[in-house]
Amino acid sequence: MAARSLLAAWTGNRRREAGLLFPSLRRDVAFPLAGAVVLFAAFVGAGLLYTLMVEGASAEKLITAMFIDAIMVIGIQIYVGNTGVFSFGHIGFGAVAGYAFAIFAIAPEDKYTRIPNAPWGLADVEMGPLPATGVALVITLIVAVIVGIGLGRSGARSGSVAATVITLALLFFTHEVAASWNELTGGERAGLTFGIGDTLQTRTPIYLALFAAIVLALLFARSSIGRLNQAAREDNLAARAMGINPVVQQTIALLLSVAVVAVAASLRVYEIGSLLPEFFFFQYTLLTLVMLVVGGRNGVTGALLGVAVITAVRESARRMGSDGYEIFGLGLDGNLDWVFREGLPTVLLGLAMVVFMIWRPNGVLDDWEVDAWLWRRFIRQKPPAAAVAAPEPDALDLSASGVTVEFGGFRALDGASIEVSNREIVGLIGPNGAGKTTLVNVMTGMVDPTSGEVQLGEMGLTSEPSHAIARAGLVRTFQNLRLFSSLTVRENVEVAALMASVHRNGGTPADIDAIVAGAGLWEHRNRRAGQLDYGNSRRLELARAAAAAPAFLLLDEPTSGMSDTESLAMVESVRNMAAAVGAGVLVIDHDLNFITGICDRVYCLDQGRMIAIGTPDEVQADAAVKAAYLGEAAQPGEDRT
Amino acid sequence: MTELVQNLIDGLGRGSIYALLALGVAVVFGVMHLLNFAHGELITVSGYAAYAAFSNGWSWYLVAPLIVVVSVITNLLIERIAFSRVRGSSEFTQLLTSFGIHFLVAAIFLMYVGARVQTFAEPGWIADTYSVGPVRVEVFDTVVIIVAIVTLVLTAAVLQRTMFGLSIRAAAADFDAARLMGVNSDRVIRGAFALSGALAGIAGIFWLMRAGHTSPTSGINPMLSGVLAALIGGLGSLKGAVIGGLALGLAEVMLRTWLPGGAAALTQGVVFSLIALLFIFRPGGLVNVAHAERV
Repeated sequence: MAARSLLAAWTGNRRREAGLLFPSLRRDVAFPLAGAVVLFAAFVGAGLLYTLMVEGASAEKLITAMFIDAIMVIGIQIYVGNTGVFSFGHIGFGAVAGYAFAIFAIAPEDKYTRIPNAPWGLADVEMGPLPATGVALVITLIVAVIVGIGLGRSGARSGSVAATVITLALLFFTHEVAASWNELTGGERAGLTFGIGDTLQTRTPIYLALFAAIVLALLFARSSIGRLNQAAREDNLAARAMGINPVVQQTIALLLSVAVVAVAASLRVYEIGSLLPEFFFFQYTLLTLVMLVVGGRNGVTGALLGVAVITAVRESARRMGSDGYEIFGLGLDGNLDWVFREGLPTVLLGLAMVVFMIWRPNGVLDDWEVDAWLWRRFIRQKPPAAAVAAPEPDALDLSASGVTVEFGGFRALDGASIEVSNREIVGLIGPNGAGKTTLVNVMTGMVDPTSGEVQLGEMGLTSEPSHAIARAGLVRTFQNLRLFSSLTVRENVEVAALMASVHRNGGTPADIDAIVAGAGLWEHRNRRAGQLDYGNSRRLELARAAAAAPAFLLLDEPTSGMSDTESLAMVESVRNMAAAVGAGVLVIDHDLNFITGICDRVYCLDQGRMIAIGTPDEVQADAAVKAAYLGEAAQPGEDRT
Repeated sequence: MTELVQNLIDGLGRGSIYALLALGVAVVFGVMHLLNFAHGELITVSGYAAYAAFSNGWSWYLVAPLIVVVSVITNLLIERIAFSRVRGSSEFTQLLTSFGIHFLVAAIFLMYVGARVQTFAEPGWIADTYSVGPVRVEVFDTVVIIVAIVTLVLTAAVLQRTMFGLSIRAAAADFDAARLMGVNSDRVIRGAFALSGALAGIAGIFWLMRAGHTSPTSGINPMLSGVLAALIGGLGSLKGAVIGGLALGLAEVMLRTWLPGGAAALTQGVVFSLIALLFIFRPGGLVNVAHAERV
């Protein structure tokens, strides 16, 4: 698919051909490429300008190091920015790549002096720097696959401690191996060294790698994989409920990110010309993390800004410490020895980290990105034509039967059964704590039932993972809104549509703009979901669920917290949405006006059991329902089913 | 057999210090959901305080309480200056804040005191041993174990019997619910940092006695041990932290004895990887505190 879209781009096919990897060729490929050129030119230009102003070998060295750091930080950004999973381990991957590169690339005669007894005859291996980088890349990716499987198993997500621990373990383990396996690494003191004149002499490979890294990071962020990762970053649970399997997406992000890191690490070693365990340890982790968070970890532009700013700050601190308080002719008066002295650069790094976390945890630019800005600025978007209603789908039934759920000793559901066809809207009512949400949680795979079954047509869904259930066609909303809050309104819908186009429609993309407009959110399409007011947030959640092309929509209290007029409008929205996508609806609500206004049939749940089924009027008239709601004792002898 | 007993005592001595550190990490994690990478800096700061006191001719008997006091005050200051401002932020933000503080404190000492390792005299009895049958026991290990037991009993009493302890335990179980029940979150969090500082201080006394020196980077090892032990115990769990500390101490001693020659240097890496495996296969740690997400 990707190949097809790229081919279409190269052959000048301007038709809006949708690829699965890049939904829109112009927005997701052409603009990011243009953005990459702009970013690369600006960043490299700034660096070269500095070397023109400040001449000398040390300025050249500084700028070379900055370019390499930029590749490294972009590599980390691809993973941390898109997935939101915090990783200490990327410098650990860097260590693996750095050592692999050095061991293969250093000439045998130099290895004989440092590591003559290297295992597997590695001391005799002679290899050019380019193939050595390839070997380093492969070895590091193998390690990344193993770590990625571990991260996946631990349920890594934004803010999870497990991910922190696993990546930290990698960092420490590689460091200790590097520090103690003297035969292979030269140990903690001697390390490895290239022969004189054998190190990197030109910046060409750095430029190539930097440009490639920027292109890769921007394209990845705009690709469907990147977008699915960003959705999972914002809300892991909601993402799974939309059919996204975060583990798969995160693993792809990790491999891509580690590949960039491996190249950066090889370049770094090749440029410095030597390697000690401490080169890829805590201090460098701190430096790269500060660079990443100061500019904004969620964007490539932010990452590059951070690299430039932190490099400048460290260099000025260092220069003022050694050459007096003057830089670019700007002098400082007074005795400032107490400020400008050894240790200041590290103090500034620590301070920058703490200050930014307190003041602006998402960095200066947050997720502002050059290509997205150009797109918003120069491409006028026309409101879409109204959506075409979906053809009537084949009849399909969703049923849960005899569902019992026990939390410890508490029985939340006690043999509850429900059946919904995809041509009707069914209500589920009941007093607080009756088990309504638990039933929806069971049906969507978020709670495992103690006993009982969930079926969609012929397909058994009991205890399947949430994302598989969503892909089968059951999509839910949440009682306490769960939007992807820092994605825009349109992106929220788009993520769901992406999933649907892969798993539901056989590759046909949904008309995202029509869905957004249909939900009355067209004018808000470029705002962040987190900035919407309550009513619009509810509408967006509904639109997002509809974009997932469900066979059944499960709505958990869509009118909770709404006024009467708003609930009435919601009746229309839900009806239209259900008709537009051709889905059956199961809706939980407290608002009886809403329920009677919208439902064909109503189920009433009390203390985990179904106590009534029927038309809205029948259920409202039911004595057991009145008793459950008003607390009256049911008439003795009355049938409670 | 003798060797095993010897190792067991060694491990328990080491583990007791870790248990105190881990308990401090777990108490703070309980109220803030913060994995505190700055915990070891309490030992850096009190180490320099101890060094200053020794330079003025203080004895260990005076320095020991000083270490605890300095550690408590430092932790309260760090909470006031930094952590109170990121309360309620994402775990990502809080974690990086503590990571930043870890480096900041170390770099400040590097800047104003220098990179040089500052040594001070260990107490005279530190290397003394006595024999129980064939086993030689260090006086130091004995003292550490006794003090740790007393501290843990006192801490348990505070946590079980006082209103403050109840609030901390309630907060550790469910911070939001505790707040809704009227627990004063400011006071609980500050209390937790004070308690955590005191525990780190007591651990710090023995850590510094054994090390006999302090340097800008001396916070990293106690930090790692405390964090690792708390992780083994499942982080939020206070009982788990103590078990985790003892387990870590024993594991370190055993690994050091049993790993073949060259691999002995890998002890920390091996322990770390074992913990990573624990997280991969049992994400809750030894004591399960998996937090169910409410939908």
